Amino acid sequence: MVTVMELYQLLPRTNCKKCGESTCMAFAVALLGRKKNVAECTPLLEANFKPQKEKLESLLLPTAGAEETGLIVHPELCTGCGNCVVACPVDVANDPHGAGMGCAPTNEKVIFKVVDGKVMASNIKECRRFGKSKVLCYACIDPCPTGAIEFV
Amino acid sequence: MDIGKFLKSPEYEIKITTYRDIFQAEAMERDRFGEEYKMLSAAISISKIDMQKMGLKPKDRVKISNSYGSIIVEAKETKKDEPGGLAFMVNSPWSNSLVSGDTQGKGIPEYKNINAKISLSKEEITTLEKLIAPFIKKPIPF
Amino acid sequence: MATCTGCALLCDDIEAIVENNRIKETRNACRRGAARMKGCVNRLVPSIDQKPTDIESSIRKTVEIIKNARSPMLFGLDNSTCEAQAKGIRLAKKLNAVIDDTSSFCQGLLIERILQKKLRTCSLDDIRNKADVLVYWGSDAQDSQPRHLSRFSYFPRGESRQRGYEEDRKAIAIDVRESNTAKICKGHFYRIPLKGDREFILALIEALSGKVPAYDTKKMLELAGILKKAEFGAVFVGIGLTYSIKEDFDILTALAEKLPNFNIMPMVGHYNMRGFNEALFKETGFVNRVKLEPKAVHDNKYSIMESLIRKNTDAIIVVGSDPMISLPRPVLTYLASIPVICIDPCISMTSKIAAVTIPCAATCMESGGTAIRMDGKVISLSKIITSEYMPDEEIMDRLMEAI
Ligand code: SF4
Ligand code: SF4
Ligand code: SF4
Ligand code: SF4
Repeated sequence: MVTVMELYQLLPRTNCKKCGESTCMAFAVALLGRKKNVAECTPLLEANFKPQKEKLESLLLPTAGAEETGLIVHPELCTGCGNCVVACPVDVANDPHGAGMGCAPTNEKVIFKVVDGKVMASNIKECRRFGKSKVLCYACIDPCPTGAIEFV
Repeated sequence: MDIGKFLKSPEYEIKITTYRDIFQAEAMERDRFGEEYKMLSAAISISKIDMQKMGLKPKDRVKISNSYGSIIVEAKETKKDEPGGLAFMVNSPWSNSLVSGDTQGKGIPEYKNINAKISLSKEEITTLEKLIAPFIKKPIPF
Repeated sequence: MATCTGCALLCDDIEAIVENNRIKETRNACRRGAARMKGCVNRLVPSIDQKPTDIESSIRKTVEIIKNARSPMLFGLDNSTCEAQAKGIRLAKKLNAVIDDTSSFCQGLLIERILQKKLRTCSLDDIRNKADVLVYWGSDAQDSQPRHLSRFSYFPRGESRQRGYEEDRKAIAIDVRESNTAKICKGHFYRIPLKGDREFILALIEALSGKVPAYDTKKMLELAGILKKAEFGAVFVGIGLTYSIKEDFDILTALAEKLPNFNIMPMVGHYNMRGFNEALFKETGFVNRVKLEPKAVHDNKYSIMESLIRKNTDAIIVVGSDPMISLPRPVLTYLASIPVICIDPCISMTSKIAAVTIPCAATCMESGGTAIRMDGKVISLSKIITSEYMPDEEIMDRLMEAI
């Protein structure tokens, strides 16, 4: 998956602030977090930056499949083991006697569900990585045996 | 004259152990004569270090043989870094082609302890049809 | 709710959405389970000498073959219900046949020890509720029993394990390779050389006895320290360990003695292999490799491998198993040379060389019954779709009647 550094390398790196961010690095972070669009860096629209702009757009393309908050499940890697279902603190809190105990989720408030042998994410707005009191939670990424979950 | 055709690919001794893979098990549930099952079974995972030692690249086809059988499979690099000296195959009719029938009277074959020779090959990957062919008495439609 | 028969965890929390008598979608089943529940693409058809026929003719031909056999064998039944297994054992008895199953070259020796109460064991529910130290030994549960860690062992909150796995449980992997399970065990992965289990156990016993182990001293003392502190531990014995120590199970017993707070759990693959072992054990005192004369005689020569190597079997009924896939190549020539009767829902490598094939219903989709989970708990399987196929239990009945 693309990193902040990769994005940064492709920017004009002049820190001109036209994008509304104080530095190019800050803009790169915002790009990765889907808070800004490539087009907001107006210097990039100039002809001599065309290859960089196209590269940036292609790097950011996979997120078309991402949920609004940037959580991506790669279904081809997922084994459907359910580790993430049980380990996600939101699932435990919202379904303590189902998902939290390793059983099938008993309500629709959980984030992860296994459908046809692969995980599907919903209710992503509940994820602890987002919202006002966000924390950098790794509880679904760490237990995944195949690296099928990613945040972009 | 094509010198290359007189040069045999170097042969190496290799120790193989078998393991299970959920993707291959899934393919088996669906269709054990299918392409997916073949692709996930007819392969050997070798550590990066050993690949380099033997001059192999991922996706190369290799011939693995011993006195029990001989197969052509795809070489892959192990997903995680392995120290080398041991290669891995998913348990399947391909790996079983290399397992001894001698159990020293105990009834348990050495599925996880295979010694064989490996070399680069240009032949096609062995199919399940080919593995089973010697045992079929009459031709049957697949 | 449906039960998945993809492995011996027998997950009974599966939601199967049925449309037009087909399973359209599964929920909660892992990747393997989902594929199993949706069924195989190539169903078996009745045949004699590879020519399609009707099921009645197949059954008649089977009876003719086994009646004429001098030394018939019944093999498999690990993918059958307890009900079918009981009938299979009765059939073998009536035929004075040899009976064996895949546990013969899998976890049979371990399950025998457990049924003989020579090794301490517990239920998977106990593990979920109480276990704090988990040892996956020669077992890649993530790939073989994919929901093991999430349903029972590592991730779930249990009665006395309420704080989550990071705080409440420690998972340890001992293996020859860094498996998916080992990856999850992160800092507690002990890599051992191929066939190195015995030496590792001996060193661990030394460390647990307060001696300084000769082998990898630092890591061994660290491991012994973790194990000693366990309130309720479990060792999940995979075939990696079973194959490595072979018949030398006393060494595992010796280790278990040093670990009084630990239980041994056999990691079983086929969904009802334990059921077969328990049924035969109850009947004969042995878990496999038995000749029913009809008095039960147990001998290694009655194992599927030795029966084929010694060419002792002259006809074989294979139920829900694919020995052409799972046995070493050198014994396949003989297997293919004798009349094989293959009873299975799907086309298999064995069905391709069979003299007679009899299709049966897929358990837990098209037929119900009970099965025994890897920990010994009886789980019921319910039928969720209708089909024209006979359950294997009924096929056993039909063969019994005809003989
Ligand atoms: S507009 Fe572009 S060049 Fe200017 S600071 Fe933002 S990212 Fe950098
Ligand atoms: S990051 Fe944490 S809260 Fe968000 S989905 Fe993953 S486990 Fe759940
Ligand atoms: S932990 Fe990973 S492999 Fe398991 S269900 Fe979740 S995403 Fe899939
Ligand atoms: S873990 Fe085993 S029983 Fe459970 S859903 Fe997966 S294959 Fe089926």
